[in-house]
Amino acid sequence: MNNVIYEATIGLEIHVETKSNSKMFSSAPNVYGKKPNTSVLPIDLGMPGTLPTVNKKAVENAIKLSNALHMEIDHTLYFDRKNYFYSDLPKGYQITQNERPIGKNGYLLVKLDGKEVRVDIERLHMEEDTCKQLHYTDFTLLDYNRAGVPLCEIVTLPCIHDAKVARLYVEKIREICVYLDVSDGKMEEGSLRCDVNISIAPKGSEQFGTKVEIKNLNSTANVEKAIAYEIERQKSLIENGEKVRQETRRFDESKMETVLMRVKTDAVDYKYFSEPNILPISLSDKFIEDTISSSYELADVKFERYTQEFKVSEYDALTLLKNRSLALLFDETVETCSYYDLLIHFINGDVLTYVSGMNAIFNLSAKHLGELINLVGEKKISNAQARDIFKQIVKSDESPIDIVKKNDISQISDEATLLTLINRLLDENPTAIQDFKNGKGRAASFLVGQIMKETKGKANPALASKLLNEELKKR
Amino acid sequence: MSYLDLDILSIHKALLEGKTKPSLLCKEALERVKKDTNNAFELVNEEEALRLALKLDEEEVPFDNVFYGIPYVLKDNYSTKGIKTTASSNILNDFVPLYDASVYKLLKEAKAVMVAKASMDELAMGGTGTTSHIGTTYNPYDPKHERMIGGSSSGSAASVSASIVPFAIGSDTGDSVRKPASYAGLVGFKPTWGLISRYGLFSYAPSLDTVAYFTRGVDDARLLLNLLVKHDLNDATSLDVTLEDDESKDEAKNITLLVFKDLDVNLKDEVTKNVYHNLLCKLKEQGITIKEVTFGHDLLAAIYPTYNVISFAEATSNNANLDGVKFGPRPEGKTYQEVMMNARTEGFSNLIKRRFVIGSYVLYKENQKTLFLRAKKVRRKIVERLNELLADADGFISLAAPSIAPKFFEATDKLSDAYVINDNYLAIANFSGGPSITLPIGLKDKMPFAVNVTAKTFDDLKLLRIAKVIEKTTGMKGLSYPEVNKYE
Repeated sequence: MNNVIYEATIGLEIHVETKSNSKMFSSAPNVYGKKPNTSVLPIDLGMPGTLPTVNKKAVENAIKLSNALHMEIDHTLYFDRKNYFYSDLPKGYQITQNERPIGKNGYLLVKLDGKEVRVDIERLHMEEDTCKQLHYTDFTLLDYNRAGVPLCEIVTLPCIHDAKVARLYVEKIREICVYLDVSDGKMEEGSLRCDVNISIAPKGSEQFGTKVEIKNLNSTANVEKAIAYEIERQKSLIENGEKVRQETRRFDESKMETVLMRVKTDAVDYKYFSEPNILPISLSDKFIEDTISSSYELADVKFERYTQEFKVSEYDALTLLKNRSLALLFDETVETCSYYDLLIHFINGDVLTYVSGMNAIFNLSAKHLGELINLVGEKKISNAQARDIFKQIVKSDESPIDIVKKNDISQISDEATLLTLINRLLDENPTAIQDFKNGKGRAASFLVGQIMKETKGKANPALASKLLNEELKKR
Repeated sequence: MSYLDLDILSIHKALLEGKTKPSLLCKEALERVKKDTNNAFELVNEEEALRLALKLDEEEVPFDNVFYGIPYVLKDNYSTKGIKTTASSNILNDFVPLYDASVYKLLKEAKAVMVAKASMDELAMGGTGTTSHIGTTYNPYDPKHERMIGGSSSGSAASVSASIVPFAIGSDTGDSVRKPASYAGLVGFKPTWGLISRYGLFSYAPSLDTVAYFTRGVDDARLLLNLLVKHDLNDATSLDVTLEDDESKDEAKNITLLVFKDLDVNLKDEVTKNVYHNLLCKLKEQGITIKEVTFGHDLLAAIYPTYNVISFAEATSNNANLDGVKFGPRPEGKTYQEVMMNARTEGFSNLIKRRFVIGSYVLYKENQKTLFLRAKKVRRKIVERLNELLADADGFISLAAPSIAPKFFEATDKLSDAYVINDNYLAIANFSGGPSITLPIGLKDKMPFAVNVTAKTFDDLKLLRIAKVIEKTTGMKGLSYPEVNKYE
């Protein structure tokens, strides 16, 4: 029995709240974090006589997402009703796409240890969110701001066998959402939600084991941890001769384990039928093509461009791509600046530090950033000087060129000038030379410091260091 | 005689000539509403109606707006902002909507004066006028209150029939305007589905629900059509079309009406049948071609069960919003399930519950294919057959109901063709979405009876033209209550 190797089969359902001015079927504003029940129209409360109207932006978002996930896109929109009673469901039914999802038969490739793993995606459909429930000990509050917010649900086939792949897949979906700008993809705020279906069976077995659902995963790390825990839990149940029950569990972050929510009895019959208030809407080829061609560039495409065209390292490219707004800054800056390595390092270093420290939007124009990096690239200023100037331009909106002129900032990169200075300093500091010969590394640093002091920081540090070393060896 | 006994155009003329004023009409209508003996009203809109009417007095009556200052009644399943709307169901007791239905808005903009909201069969389900939470609505033609007015637009029908107002808005999902129109001696018109916005009409079965109305004559029906047909972005099924009709000089020429032999074969009432046949002869004399065809008995017999399956299924879903959580009476309960269950147990009558049970049953996964989806298929087949027959014709005609309004406790053989087919075939126009009109052709025992003509979708104007010919032939324009009017 102990020799049996078990394999987990995992399917993921991801709900993405997509960005749009209004809700999926209602013209109430689609906002997050507003005072409860302030973005609500009669239809969001399911008031009698109200009727749904389809939000075009939400459809465009779904098309963009479907396209990014390599899906077949349905040229006719059909909506269905999913009927059930629940306190968070205003109309007593949810409008969704059951029979004909807008996207089907797609896939994503994720990279695990250098190898590409394919995750098959069964469907992507549009639907509306429910209202938000705030549970207290003896009452529940309902916030209808969320009721009707556009969702895209993305469902994989049960084709994942590894917790890490599941995590990478969710990360990839989130990245795609963010790069397409169809969602802010914040798991912690619930704008991207992931449910996991998982079962285990002896490897090679044709039958799936009993499926357990895990809900409320609020980070990609927890997706991986919850699955890893669940695989072990189910394994030990089976090895102890017990059965896995069909149940819904949630992940308890403090205990790092999955906890029972409810045992699933008979599956609920949602009595799906086609939504009679929305007739099928045919989408023209042009509309679909225009929507797709207006999609923003994905991170993968940028990665290729950065590494192929700009020859930056894969590591640098990946670091930059973790933050879409910085990648966009890079894209804009390369139009006026071709010191790609200097630029990407500066963004990944100074700019990222600054943005993280501010934890806010900043107003740095690509034009000024380009000027700044060009000054460094042309060796007119040092990195340290660039850093100082950067701190000014994010606040003052001043041109780096003007700042350099105004403050007489420059860099001495003239070899003759530097050699004269170096030789004078060496003459004045014989002990340092002796120390250097004796292998004391600090001696060189001391001398560089002296050069900087003499030049008021204007000496090109790299050049000065190189020349100093050469001169020291001559002595 | 009062101006209220006349049709819209005549009242408008009187207003233009200064013979009456909006406030006088309104006061009189309100008076009549209060004196109503037919239990037709949910609510009297007294203060607001009077305020509006008095304001209208101050302005000159515009010659191009016939609805200016005309009192009317609205069925209680239209959302009216700030005015209680219950759809005659306890589950919506004291419910005050937050927005106006598009139809109500259009009438408001036209300065028509809503004097009352009409009682109806609960949630527009039922065809008897007996299931309102305020009790049965009676037929003004029958002072003994033995005969029904029909439903579900029972109060709307009664209010025009009793000369309280010249027109009333109802809604028609199966025959909810066209059947009571037959029993109440009125013109009942259901335009093509999608022409008039349903926004704000409490949904019963959206694929069948149509804004429809009662008038005293065909001309008024046309005036209302002109007013209410308007593309509405709040209703995704609202169409953006312009109706057209090739109006030749001779109204009757080039018109072909079909008679379905297997429909009319079941008509047993000799009096109504004779008048109907007489009418057909007179129409022929005027140049209308009457063509007898066979529709197909099984398809005709399938209309009623198909209607039940589709409408009950849609109804159970549409009314799932009525759960006591967000609006309407909120009963006690320890859990949300208990609150919902108590609200729905107390809020709905047994007839409604029965329909929901059937509606849910036909939607269950294991039944959908054999019941709900099959019903949708049959609906399509019926419509295909109708379109096939109407391809070479302009409409079909029959008695709107087999006879005059039945008595409340009259025994009917619910399995007979006369009941299954002739008492329920009008839903065919809801299946096709086409326009359909009922208008009176005679009286029996002082009770009216009527014909119905149904045409192809978007042939609304042509249908009204045909109806006008019939109206002229019968001479029964403005039949209704004035003959036996007790108001002084």
